[in-house]
Amino acid sequence: MKRDPLEGLLGHTGRDPGCDAAFEQFDRYCDACLRGKDVEREFPEFMNHLRNCPGCREDAEGLLAALRQLDED
Amino acid sequence: MPDRGLEEVDDLCHQAASDAAMAILRKLPDLRGDSRFTTWACKFVMFEISTRLRRHAWRHRKIEPNEQVLDRLVDSALPALTRLEQTETLHFLQRAIRDDLTDRQRLIFQAAVLDEVPIDVLAERLDSTRGAIYKILHDARARLRRALARNEGKEERV
Repeated sequence: MKRDPLEGLLGHTGRDPGCDAAFEQFDRYCDACLRGKDVEREFPEFMNHLRNCPGCREDAEGLLAALRQLDED
Repeated sequence: MPDRGLEEVDDLCHQAASDAAMAILRKLPDLRGDSRFTTWACKFVMFEISTRLRRHAWRHRKIEPNEQVLDRLVDSALPALTRLEQTETLHFLQRAIRDDLTDRQRLIFQAAVLDEVPIDVLAERLDSTRGAIYKILHDARARLRRALARNEGKEERV
């Protein structure tokens, strides 16, 4: 798929629910990731938000890393 | 002698854990069981800690309107565009940022996108919330995309 070269500046053009709505989905998204689900298909708008929002992206990565660590312990 | 920086971070994490516990108790009646309880509870902890650490890391940095940062736009590398297209498009965007955005949109776009200031930090400095700041950024980006589409003579979904 051709990537929009201006995406870094102007964001991804798909529907983006914003930080507050994304926060509500963080736990379901992380559980789906840990179960190996197709999160691009199940959470398309949430994934758009993660592409556009570095803070939420970092939080999602951090939460996933913490949960993986908890599962290992 | 204990490291003052580490002590501060340790304090921040304790405050974050305490606030996360309060948030979890407050939200407990809304728990629907769509995810594991551990996952649901950990997201509050992650949010509180990450927000505090970002604000702590940026505490000595000023955030203010800076026209010079727009000049860097043209110097930034966008390898997928040819140099000519890149320069023309970015010069247009420079003008659109100056002319089409409100002062608040311009400040937030400049800080969040060009200076990479975390949205949590902007929310604190501008006495707002993460969601509200993100909405302004989202609207600013949409306005710039529309301006760009108009300039290129095509409709674009924003």
